[in-house]
Amino acid sequence: MKKIQIAIVGAGPAGLSLAIELSNMGYSDVVVFEREDEAGGTPRHCGHLGFGIFEFYRLLSGPNYAKKLVEIALSKNITIKLKHTLINIEKNNLTFSTTDGLETYSAQKTILALGARETPRPSRFVSGTRSPNIITTGALQRFVYMQKCAPFKNAVIIGSEVVSFSAIMSAKHAGIKIKAIIEEDENLNTFNILKPISELFLKTPVKVGYKVLSINGEEKNIQSVTISKNGIEEIIECDGVIFSGKFTPESAILQENFKDFNHTNNSVFVSQIFQTTSKNFFAVGNVLRGALTAFKCYFEGKKLARFIDDSLKNTKLNPLHVKIQCDENIQWYSPSLVDLNYPSKTLTNLRINKKATGKIIVSLNDNDVYSKDINVSTYTNIKIPRLDYPISKNDNVKIRLES
Amino acid sequence: MKYLDLNNMFPKKKLECSEDEIFDIAIIGAGVVGCGIFKEFCENGAKTVLVEKANDILEGASKGNSAILHTGFDAPPESLELECVKRGYSEYLKIKKKLNLPLLNTKALVVAWSDEQVEKLDGILKKGLNNGVKELELLTDKQIFEKEPNLSKNAKAALLVHGESLIDPWNSPLAYVKLGLQAGGKLAFSHEVTDGHFNGEFWEIKTSQKIIKAKTVINAAGLYGDIVDSIKGSKDFKIIPRKGQFIIFDKTAYNLINSIILPVPTKITKGVVITKTAFGNILVGPTAEDQESRDDSVTKEETIKMLLKKAYELLPDLQKHNITATFAGLRPASDKNHYRVKINDEKNWITVGGIRSTGLTSSLGLAKYVYELNDRKYEKKKKKASVIKIQNISEFQTRDYQDSDYGKIVCHCECVTQREIENALKGEASAGTIGGLKRRTRITMGRCQGFNCQAEVSEICEKSQS
Repeated sequence: MKKIQIAIVGAGPAGLSLAIELSNMGYSDVVVFEREDEAGGTPRHCGHLGFGIFEFYRLLSGPNYAKKLVEIALSKNITIKLKHTLINIEKNNLTFSTTDGLETYSAQKTILALGARETPRPSRFVSGTRSPNIITTGALQRFVYMQKCAPFKNAVIIGSEVVSFSAIMSAKHAGIKIKAIIEEDENLNTFNILKPISELFLKTPVKVGYKVLSINGEEKNIQSVTISKNGIEEIIECDGVIFSGKFTPESAILQENFKDFNHTNNSVFVSQIFQTTSKNFFAVGNVLRGALTAFKCYFEGKKLARFIDDSLKNTKLNPLHVKIQCDENIQWYSPSLVDLNYPSKTLTNLRINKKATGKIIVSLNDNDVYSKDINVSTYTNIKIPRLDYPISKNDNVKIRLES
Repeated sequence: MKYLDLNNMFPKKKLECSEDEIFDIAIIGAGVVGCGIFKEFCENGAKTVLVEKANDILEGASKGNSAILHTGFDAPPESLELECVKRGYSEYLKIKKKLNLPLLNTKALVVAWSDEQVEKLDGILKKGLNNGVKELELLTDKQIFEKEPNLSKNAKAALLVHGESLIDPWNSPLAYVKLGLQAGGKLAFSHEVTDGHFNGEFWEIKTSQKIIKAKTVINAAGLYGDIVDSIKGSKDFKIIPRKGQFIIFDKTAYNLINSIILPVPTKITKGVVITKTAFGNILVGPTAEDQESRDDSVTKEETIKMLLKKAYELLPDLQKHNITATFAGLRPASDKNHYRVKINDEKNWITVGGIRSTGLTSSLGLAKYVYELNDRKYEKKKKKASVIKIQNISEFQTRDYQDSDYGKIVCHCECVTQREIENALKGEASAGTIGGLKRRTRITMGRCQGFNCQAEVSEICEKSQS
């Protein structure tokens, strides 16, 4: 077993920026573990522009952004161990599968920056045939930008988040025609302006309020999808289907290893200093709640460095956690614990499941203590302040949506 | 940009043999039954060819099932099915270690959820004892919850069946094929049988690639069994495909149950099974839907949601876990409720049809039965020491990622290594379809369904062909 001071699992924007910041603070016994054979995380296969403005004051493509992050980390002599897959967590010990055999590290502090992935077809219950030509945006991007090939010629995109529109760009780059974007809700899951932009400039119809009834095909070849709105069915011919968005944390290993698991976020509970219910474990980035943009993860990682420093120096300080619970209308919320040792302006940030007009209400021991009028979409961040009411240990903190 | 046809990445396999070669045996259909029979005849010295229309084994009914090794406690009494299930079970136990095939003896609980069902348990117990399955035990609700604390508290009583176990439904038939090949058998994949003619001495089987000559034909064509059977001139049965839809839950759910949870069968429905799988998931299913189509294995949103509701009812904690996959399998049921095995001595034709849900367990026993039925002697070659070791992809034995020098992990959800993929693409019994590669390795079958590795895997496949 090898002893290290700080283990960071995941070399994406959150993990790398944390490692860089820790290095700036003088920490040298830091190891970043990455399961892929290349560091950089998800931006590596987002071939379009849109990265780096806030971090490096330059407009970069995803792969160049990832390269830049890795370059900075390497220039600071940060150890990045590639092809290390975390397979077990026990007390402070992390076991990795590596091509040199299983390796176990014992770390004083472990930071889980495991990232997120999209929700593929099965748990969306879409009827129809199975085929390798039913993929996610992430898989499409890897086909297009990493393997340089197109797995089909005509496709539909299911879902209407920002990533769905980035899928159009990836498809265009590969010469794939996108026949339509299909969204079951009446509203896009991103800025509505993207509908006319997409239809005018990208010649891609955006069909809102349509349910996908089935994916049709013969054997493993897709021929069309059937969609319907108000009982009227429509068939769109295509040989590929892209399920986009609905990002979910890459958190299965946490569900297996942490007693307390947050099923709203599909992740572990963390406080405003990113500490989990296990004192020596922290979690940061998209593993907390599905996908936010790279720069948000980057700045979260950077912010976390100070708290790691704190917890290494104040070994006697025990967390005073109060759990925040949310109702089923909340898509995710972060943080999900309040650590009473640390003052903070914000109780939590959250998003809701469906576009809604109404009130977000915070209750303490079933007494409503805060209410905020909202008229928001699923992609709007809602900040819940913590200033107006004191929280003490054993308080029962709940958040609900009334619409 | 280059276009990659994901459904046709593997070249069609060819049969290398001379025009006038006459095989002793041609088996039509490389499902689990055909694979078992192939092993048996090859090992007994018959010059055997396994003819299959797809480019790999297990592309029909055998690809989707619940992967249970049955004891036969609930099989029809004194039936051929029971005989073959029991014999197949003990054959599997004999060869599994040598081949590195997994087995997890989870035991099964036939759970009664109502008073009416409780009354039926005695009958099931008696049937089991009559079937020669001795290790059976009636449990009270208290005893059930000691074994299965997460099960719905509506469970009233249960019958514990000690012998029921889990196996790898894909790599065991692959092992049978490899044993057959080692004993000199040949494979004719991508050879779709279209017609045949018997000249009194041997059959000339017309296929989509070439004519194959064989003294005896064994029809193990599964879902197409009745159509292939009509080649011999008479039609004795009709296949009625029975669809079963399944849900696979994430590996995080694996420890929610210990045993296979079976329902008490009713006249109307056989009910839903909840079981672990060899690969560390929880499986719920199947439905039983008779249909005309032999290929239509689509899943239906409303059926899956109904299954899900049932699963949550029986095992409430499943609600805390994600769904990894949904799929449908087709069982080659026939118009009668039993196996349709028959020899036609005048035509040198053996029909092995209507092998419904128990084929995975019975295949090795059925193979022995068919060999004895054929009643011909072949010259047995000296047996080479078996060196066949199957790549273990089950979670009950050491996996490749726990070893070293595997290259890299390509599929993170299922921890599939580069070496495992490369091995599956090698040799005579190499993967011939993307599904075949998935069944040999589990790539892209995990919770991300290829988000991370599908593109890379496709590239590895493409490269392996050039």
